[in-house]
Amino acid sequence: MAVFVDEAVSTGPAQDHAPPTRRFGRRGRAVVEVVLLTVLAIVMLFPVLWMVETSIKENRDVYAIPAKFFAFDFTLDHFKDVFVASGGGRSVLSISFLNSVVVAGVSTVLATVLGVPAAWAYSRFGVKAKKDQLFFILSTRFMPPVVVVIPIFLMYRQLGLIDTQLGLILIYTAFNVPFTIWMMKGFVDEVPSEYEDAAMLDGWTRLQAFRRITLPLLVPGIAATAVFALIFSWNEFVFAIFLTSSDEVRTAPPAIAGLIGGTTVDWGLVAASSVVFALPVLIFAYLVRKHLVAGVTLGAVRR
Amino acid sequence: MRYPKRTRRRPVPNRTSRLAAAALLVATTVAACGGDDDSAEAGGPKAPATIPTLTNDPLTLSFIWFEWPPAQTLEDFANAEYTKDRPNVTIKVNTVPNANWHDAMFTQFAARKTDFDIAILDSQHIGEAVTNGNILDITDFVKENIDVSAYNPYLLAAYGQFPQAETGQRDENASLYGLPLLGDTWTMIYRKDLIGEQPPKTWDEMIAAAEKCQTENPGVSGLAFHQANGSDAAAVTYNTVNGVYGGNLWNAKDRKIEGVLNDQAGHEAMDILVNKMKPLTAKGSGNWFIDEVNAAVAQGKACIAFQWIAASGGLLDPKQSTLGTTRDEILQKLGFATLPTQKTDLVPLGGMGMHISAYAPEAQQAEALNFMKWFEQADVQKKWAAAGGVPARTDALQSPEFLNASPFNKVYADSVPRMRDMWNVPEYARLVDIENTNVNAALNGAKSPRQALDDIAREQQKILDSSGKKGGAGL
Amino acid sequence: MSAPAPVTTDEPGQVASATPPARARSRRLSDRWLAVVFISPALLLLLGMSVFPLLWALYLSFTDYSATRGGPADFIGFGNYTAILTSSQVHQRALTTLIYVVGAVTLQTVLGFTIAYLISRRTRGRGLLTTLFLVPMMLSPVVVGLFWRFMLDAQFGVVNSMLGSLGLGQVEWLTRQQTALLSLIVVDTWQWTPFIMLIALAGLTAVPKYLYEAASIDRASEWFKFRTITLPLVWPLLLIAVLFRAIEAFRLFDLVYILTSGGPGVSTETLSFHVYKVAFLGFNTGTASAYGILMVLVVIILTQLYLRYLNKLKED
Repeated sequence: MAVFVDEAVSTGPAQDHAPPTRRFGRRGRAVVEVVLLTVLAIVMLFPVLWMVETSIKENRDVYAIPAKFFAFDFTLDHFKDVFVASGGGRSVLSISFLNSVVVAGVSTVLATVLGVPAAWAYSRFGVKAKKDQLFFILSTRFMPPVVVVIPIFLMYRQLGLIDTQLGLILIYTAFNVPFTIWMMKGFVDEVPSEYEDAAMLDGWTRLQAFRRITLPLLVPGIAATAVFALIFSWNEFVFAIFLTSSDEVRTAPPAIAGLIGGTTVDWGLVAASSVVFALPVLIFAYLVRKHLVAGVTLGAVRR
Repeated sequence: MRYPKRTRRRPVPNRTSRLAAAALLVATTVAACGGDDDSAEAGGPKAPATIPTLTNDPLTLSFIWFEWPPAQTLEDFANAEYTKDRPNVTIKVNTVPNANWHDAMFTQFAARKTDFDIAILDSQHIGEAVTNGNILDITDFVKENIDVSAYNPYLLAAYGQFPQAETGQRDENASLYGLPLLGDTWTMIYRKDLIGEQPPKTWDEMIAAAEKCQTENPGVSGLAFHQANGSDAAAVTYNTVNGVYGGNLWNAKDRKIEGVLNDQAGHEAMDILVNKMKPLTAKGSGNWFIDEVNAAVAQGKACIAFQWIAASGGLLDPKQSTLGTTRDEILQKLGFATLPTQKTDLVPLGGMGMHISAYAPEAQQAEALNFMKWFEQADVQKKWAAAGGVPARTDALQSPEFLNASPFNKVYADSVPRMRDMWNVPEYARLVDIENTNVNAALNGAKSPRQALDDIAREQQKILDSSGKKGGAGL
Repeated sequence: MSAPAPVTTDEPGQVASATPPARARSRRLSDRWLAVVFISPALLLLLGMSVFPLLWALYLSFTDYSATRGGPADFIGFGNYTAILTSSQVHQRALTTLIYVVGAVTLQTVLGFTIAYLISRRTRGRGLLTTLFLVPMMLSPVVVGLFWRFMLDAQFGVVNSMLGSLGLGQVEWLTRQQTALLSLIVVDTWQWTPFIMLIALAGLTAVPKYLYEAASIDRASEWFKFRTITLPLVWPLLLIAVLFRAIEAFRLFDLVYILTSGGPGVSTETLSFHVYKVAFLGFNTGTASAYGILMVLVVIILTQLYLRYLNKLKED
């Protein structure tokens, strides 16, 4: 980083440059920045592009050596296979996508509904041992999921929550709430409590003030946190694999992992399912992109 | 440990927090006590000798298997044929990824409640399932309902007997816990156009042919076989070579591995595997399993390959192969044969059996027994063969329906008398993991062959010796 | 909803005095009640779904319970803990995990910050660029693992294919000891750099523009501006992001599972993966619980130390 900046700018601070050199330095630096950004973008996005390309290739071309970048047969069969089972009718994958939508969506909403008010309460009120409680809340995420699975599994068995969407929703919510609270608290801290105090002086209750004044201001933060919660719930694998078994309930990650079963892998299908699976999250993130950056600013800066 | 105590302080208000803590403590104790209530005897509850009256209400019989075409084949076949006898029954085969197969099933066994009625276990899982009381003892049932003389005794033993018998023999007095579902073994796949019409007969010949083929055809590697350190890939490969060169996996009677596995023959086998066979494989094949070997064959990049028969169906699919545009064209280039012999003619035993979950409801268990009885009938076995499965009854194995269904079925029929399985002791999963990781390390140059084999023997022996010790188990 | 009573500048005192202490008391009470109502659901859920398993695992860690073998859970005191702490296998995995976490997080931080810096210098297309770079993070680790495994395949992978076209040798990425761990680090970096980038970008955009303008007026160079304005303001944020990533990398399981399965041999087995093997291959639930508890303790202690150090930095 420092190196590249240096080479575009002459040494030493506050030097009296002749204008032409300075202008060159600025343009040169801009060019270098753009080039570097492009290179990085290509490197970061290439695997994704390759995945998309694989999803539209015939299987023969998928395994071709050397790899075929442009001269390949185009086919949409893989995408069809994602949704249509080999014997006609809905494929298992399409059912699992639907399950993912339900489970991830509900758990994100629930995490937000539970987390935002809690974060606000932590921010506004002098709760006893606040810092410790908050740290404790965050520390619940430190446990490796592989170890948590067994007691959760035993617990769910008693409650009959195995192989249910509700079971997954509960555990995902429980995993998202800490992060939601932590991040949202930062946002709430940014909204001065004077706003609410003024409203309360006007006769509104605290609750009304929260709903009508603070909440609208928190929308960027909620959007940002929701994206992270959604990403986690959407992509989660370990719990899904151990807490669900039937096709009707299973979410997409185990279903996609199951595509590399015992015989020849249909990499085209894997790629197509991955593309289809990644789209909703990407679209959602794009829709709230403005809030993402602005939101993370407020949320993470404050502690 | 200051910090954990601090972070456990309960929130405002105090009364509620104390209540919550108390409730939590009670819940924990209850769960702790309740969870250990284990009334199942080791050895599994017994299934009745005669099938109880079956219900006429709609009933779903669930299986659990891993994700591969035979799973779908079973579901289609059973729903088409079994429902002719029992129209109120629907068969459902739940599948999990292969890597999770053992975990998924045994996690449910551990919770004493299963979603499935019939578990399809790998033959080596039987020991674990039986010792934990997870599957039904069907010895009496088999005596009453199954014509055992129609089977090669080893097949019955391999897919259902525990304790496991000596290779090739069945102990008439031992208990049976399952019946064969799908048979499987390795087939040698070779390029007829590169090697010749006749497959190599001995292991040495095979290596020489592969070497010659590789030199003559740049870009094509001589061999392709399983090397991955997951599932049982590398372990089966080594066990096969070990068997062919006259080695032994263990001394079952004395429970000895140290000194048995790494004897002269064992070391020779490891040496051949790492120093003669591995160099003939493609670069980076060190984590290959079923799909990668298939891909190598389908892309025409291997002269000789070893693969499970049940997984080889896709090789004849023109859509996935560069060897031809029709099945016949492919068959002109690909040949299937039984494994070459050397000091012995042993081949690995694959395939799975059906076992009944001890935690399934009574009605489902009864239906499962009925299904198993139905499945092992002569005509059903033949239909299973025609549908693409591998039956176990001798007459079905020799029937034209089976032998003509695909080119590698003959390989299976010829291999049945030669099969040898691995140990199906309860500690199987850990034993195979030790073997897998060490063979994989040897194949990838992380350990010397000699060191790897000695490590395997030593660590496996430690596990066999320590079953029953307390504290720090599993490391 | 009653309309709020108008507050005029000359009568606020009167409005306030019109509401005697009783109102204030009730407001405090209802505040407390509100706090309880707002916090309890979340805390209850966490108690039930996160604390209970933790306590349960803590209890199990002092026993030799096996989830499949059943039977009574015999109390064996610290047997599991001592066994784990003295096991050479665990030490080996700990070293692997350390290398992995340090390598991956360092790489991610450097890359993430670089990209964020470059994006923050642009005036147009920031939203699009940010979203584009975020894509890897949005993918499921399963998908990422599967695909990189395919791409890094020594025979069929596109990486080796490109290396071959460039005339360089073929590298056995996932099957050689030296390169397997490196591949793991690279794939994890690829997936999680966007996270650091996002946080760094947030920090960079939060730096007030007037600071830069003031510095420009003083004819400060870019490097000077970067060193005295940008870096100090973004530094704390980055450290938080690093903390998050380090914790997550420490717990990582999916990627190892799919990409290398711990191979070749056991050279890429991280602690998390080893716990999986102990818990599910041998079903040694007691040992696995002790293992997990130890990991949690390590993270908690290190995090506390780290946060204290951060706080000290802030105070300076």
